[in-house]
Amino acid sequence: MRVAAVALNTFRETIRDRILGVIILFALAMIVASLWLASISLGQEDRMIKDFGLAAISVFGLIVAAFVAASLVRKEVEKRTVFIIFSKPVSRSEFIWGKFLGLAATMLTVLTGMTVFLFALAWMVAGSPSGSLLLAGLLIFLQLLVVMAMTMLFSTMTSAILASVWGICVYAAGQLSHNVLSLSRLGHSEVTHVLSTAVFFVVPNLSAVDLRAAVVGEAGHGTTLLAWCAYLVAYLVIALFAATWIFARKEF
Amino acid sequence: MRRLLALAAVAVCVAVVIVYQTNRPAAATPNPVVFVPSPGFYKNFSPSVRATLADVYWLSTIQYYGEHVKSDHRLDSLPAMVRLVTSLSPHFTEAYFFGAFSMIDVGRPATAYALLQQGYRANPRDWRFPFYLGFFAYTYASGAHKDAVAAQWYADAARLPGRPAFVARLAAELATKGNETQTAIDLWTQVYCQGDKYARQKAVTALDRLLPTDKVAREKAVARLEPAVPHALFAQFVADLFQGYN
Repeated sequence: MRVAAVALNTFRETIRDRILGVIILFALAMIVASLWLASISLGQEDRMIKDFGLAAISVFGLIVAAFVAASLVRKEVEKRTVFIIFSKPVSRSEFIWGKFLGLAATMLTVLTGMTVFLFALAWMVAGSPSGSLLLAGLLIFLQLLVVMAMTMLFSTMTSAILASVWGICVYAAGQLSHNVLSLSRLGHSEVTHVLSTAVFFVVPNLSAVDLRAAVVGEAGHGTTLLAWCAYLVAYLVIALFAATWIFARKEF
Repeated sequence: MRRLLALAAVAVCVAVVIVYQTNRPAAATPNPVVFVPSPGFYKNFSPSVRATLADVYWLSTIQYYGEHVKSDHRLDSLPAMVRLVTSLSPHFTEAYFFGAFSMIDVGRPATAYALLQQGYRANPRDWRFPFYLGFFAYTYASGAHKDAVAAQWYADAARLPGRPAFVARLAAELATKGNETQTAIDLWTQVYCQGDKYARQKAVTALDRLLPTDKVAREKAVARLEPAVPHALFAQFVADLFQGYN
């Protein structure tokens, strides 16, 4: 119940944020701009709108996830409002989980808006609806939840800017995690191999299911969708527990 | 006085910018040889990133084609660009067709043919690849066997889902023209089984010319075709081929 109260407050706070509004407007403008790209694509309007539209949703969703998640906890600490919250019967873990769930609700609202907008645009251009676009939007949401959880974990340890940068790095590394092992095999150093193997196992695998590629007719990887979703949820829960554990030991 | 000087400075700057902007060339000089990265460079990127990169390169390929087809008619880098797009997104079928027909535009049918073969390997269920391969083999190849090669491609296309009915007839016509008698008989039989009244009429006329005229020999040849003809249709098939025989 207390988690829900924190979450609701966080949702209200973030959804009213002007920066968020600007980002959403910019993302919608980018999606509409894909119409222009489509017009110079020689008969590939449908493909271009879907591909560039989903890419815009991913990039702007990532900006929201990394920058808003990083400032959520830090802002409360820096403005000292955290003391008012902790003077009430709210534990530190409830605070972290509430903040996360509130931002997740905001992210869901934002991504739903952008995905439905793109879906309608693609439907208008292609003449037929594409259900896989909606599924791709849902999977982007799941990926961004992991980035948010990791960014919140970093924000309990370091400054907001650094946490945002690390959050974006987690996203990029998650898209390329399999490359780390491939690259380490090129060299002969045992230390590099051990280190890259460690990185491979720690970094979240965000590219195992590639619905964005599937939407434009390219098959994704072999991992089943449900297993991958379960893995991402498990990963973000671990990240949030780690954030809670660190935040509980923090002296203000 | 200071304000007047400032206004004059701004007016001069505005004039300089306007003169420069209105006199700049509307388009850069197109260069027929552009840098195209190797597809291997991107091979470890995730499929989503590769598909988006393919679309970005697709747009630049079209721009490159448009610039040069209007000016110097040189498309030196086009094969590499199309190869990059199709390597990043192997199921992007339109890129293969665009690349192949563009290569024909600049007189490189062998490159076009190789590109379509690559596309067919990546998309073996798309009838358009063997269909266009057959068309290119028939139109641009030389040598005694080109009709037979084209017929073989059309025959491949005729076996794939979604192909129009005329593909099987084209294959049969070309096999007949290429003196591939047995292949032609098989293909016309296929046309007879799958086609409408018009197609059947064409098939009967062609088979009549291809099958032996001697009754016994013809009976043997038609008996060999029995497994290829649906059971319910076989009596009609025999009747059509033995019109005028006692």
